[in-house]
Amino acid sequence: MSGPIIEVEGLAKEYRRPVRVEGPLGGLRSLLSPRHVTKRAVDGVSFALAEGELVGYLGPNGAGKSTTIKMLTGILRPTAGLVRVAGLVPWRERERHARNIGVVFGQRTQLWWDLPLRDSLELIGRLYGVERARHRATTARFTELLGLGPFLDTPVRQLSLGQRMRGDLAAAMLPEPRILFLDEPTIGLDVVAKERIRDFIATRNRRDGTTIVLTTHDLDDVERLCRRIVLIDDGRVLYDGDVARLKERYAPHRRLVVQLADGAGWHGVRVPGVARDDEADDAPGQVTLRFDPAGTRVADVITAVLARHEVTDLSLVEPGLEGVVHRIYAARGAA
Amino acid sequence: MTSPRGLAPPRLTLRQRAVAHAGTAGLHARAQLAYRADFVFRVLWLLLQVYLLALVWRAVYPESGTAPAHGGQQVTLATQLAYVTYASVQNWLLTPAGLAPTPIPQRVREGSIAVDLSRPVAFTTQMLAAQGGIVLAAAPFAVLALPFAVVAGGARAPASAGAASAYALSLVPAVLNALLLAVVVSMVSFWTLEAVGVFMIHRVVAHFFAGALIPLWFMPSWLADLAQLLPFQTTTYTPIALYLGHIHGTGPVLTALAVQCGWTAALWLIMRLVWARALHRVVVQGG
Repeated sequence: MSGPIIEVEGLAKEYRRPVRVEGPLGGLRSLLSPRHVTKRAVDGVSFALAEGELVGYLGPNGAGKSTTIKMLTGILRPTAGLVRVAGLVPWRERERHARNIGVVFGQRTQLWWDLPLRDSLELIGRLYGVERARHRATTARFTELLGLGPFLDTPVRQLSLGQRMRGDLAAAMLPEPRILFLDEPTIGLDVVAKERIRDFIATRNRRDGTTIVLTTHDLDDVERLCRRIVLIDDGRVLYDGDVARLKERYAPHRRLVVQLADGAGWHGVRVPGVARDDEADDAPGQVTLRFDPAGTRVADVITAVLARHEVTDLSLVEPGLEGVVHRIYAARGAA
Repeated sequence: MTSPRGLAPPRLTLRQRAVAHAGTAGLHARAQLAYRADFVFRVLWLLLQVYLLALVWRAVYPESGTAPAHGGQQVTLATQLAYVTYASVQNWLLTPAGLAPTPIPQRVREGSIAVDLSRPVAFTTQMLAAQGGIVLAAAPFAVLALPFAVVAGGARAPASAGAASAYALSLVPAVLNALLLAVVVSMVSFWTLEAVGVFMIHRVVAHFFAGALIPLWFMPSWLADLAQLLPFQTTTYTPIALYLGHIHGTGPVLTALAVQCGWTAALWLIMRLVWARALHRVVVQGG
């Protein structure tokens, strides 16, 4: 067992941004006597990733996600702390590091706007020193997997967002990097396009053993792809671990939604630890109950409900990650 | 995988980097051809410039048909018209059409610079290759425009076989210097996004001091001396003056070529220096 492929320790990044001087000739005055403000975007982040992991790196807007990714990819130099990716310090050995990694920035593209997708993919092979025959084989494989065939000869500027993103993913993976950084790869995509991209990401991780760091606001991405997440806010790590354990910790409750028969009234259940959920948005004739499965058995709750009520439907609702994350941010905001 | 697990890959070999840069240049050349219609108008602009310059020189030239230049040499009207034609075409080829000298400012503004920085080749050479591709795409149009420019202006055979080979040799540093100057100047955009004014000043200064409008031999001597000190003349004036035999004799020809190459080395160093500062700005300040 070798050490972690990504090591981040006490990582911090401060931005010094010029402040524009207001008033007449503001631009010129800003240029001649610039004033600055300092913002600590990342403030002591630490984590380690083993090779082959697929980790969700989450946080609200401005939490420091992109800044961390930029430090991991060698685009930014940390103000303090240590980053080591596959044995290299990214910013110090940028060109060597670049051969280890693939990057997808969902908000911009690495493809060449005016040319057919095919040309961009071909240049990627040359830029990364990939042997020709190998590059041809990989391109053929990804073209098939991502369904790029129908638009390989279309100029990138004419592609739909979903097509472009598939092209970007192919470009990032063509040099067969050990580590893939995905910064919001499903942003703005429809359900079908998202699913296709998630499939591809999951397969690269499972079959090729590619280590993947995924930042996203789409928690469906995370539930579908990641076993582990690192949650940050305000430049610090709030949670690092299992998705399942996070839910247990922050949203221990299950919900039982009861649909009463027409005209039937609600008489309550007398099981300890079970309460009607005040937050639920119940339709007429519907009742939502809340309980902690650690202390109360689901079967007991159902039995108790059925004993006293005429019921047409019952459903047990697991907590979604969405609600969990929302709760964490809200709690932090209140603290 | 490109390397065995656990072992960090080396930098790309020189050969691999050459392939990468050739690929980058080719791609940018092809991207330029997406705007073929634009080239037609740019060629018309070039022909108009040659025609108007030739018109003026014909009008102001002494009736004797020769005029004294620096150092007592006489320049005939035919030579002057040929100079105006060749210098305009060459400068047109080496000066990209857009407001900014290279795509760098746009990449900085859009943040695509992050993509460039995550490539296994250096940013500066990537940009030089891209710029080379852009110039390459314009070359066929310059060749096509040349006969028309000759009709609008004038032409002359190279002064001698030696002059022809000196011209061919001097084209190499001329092109390199033009690319380096464009990359260096456009890196201003790392410091200010509002660099359009800087680029306009650069355009006028470069055009004038390259000798694209007036050959250095007809400038007031103090201005010619100043032009000699700047790198711009190496892109246009030097090669054309060599071709026409205005710079002749082994000593002066070798000196002219050496000055060109000296500027190539100096501009390379300047580019590296400016880039080091710009990179510091990007990676340290997150600009």
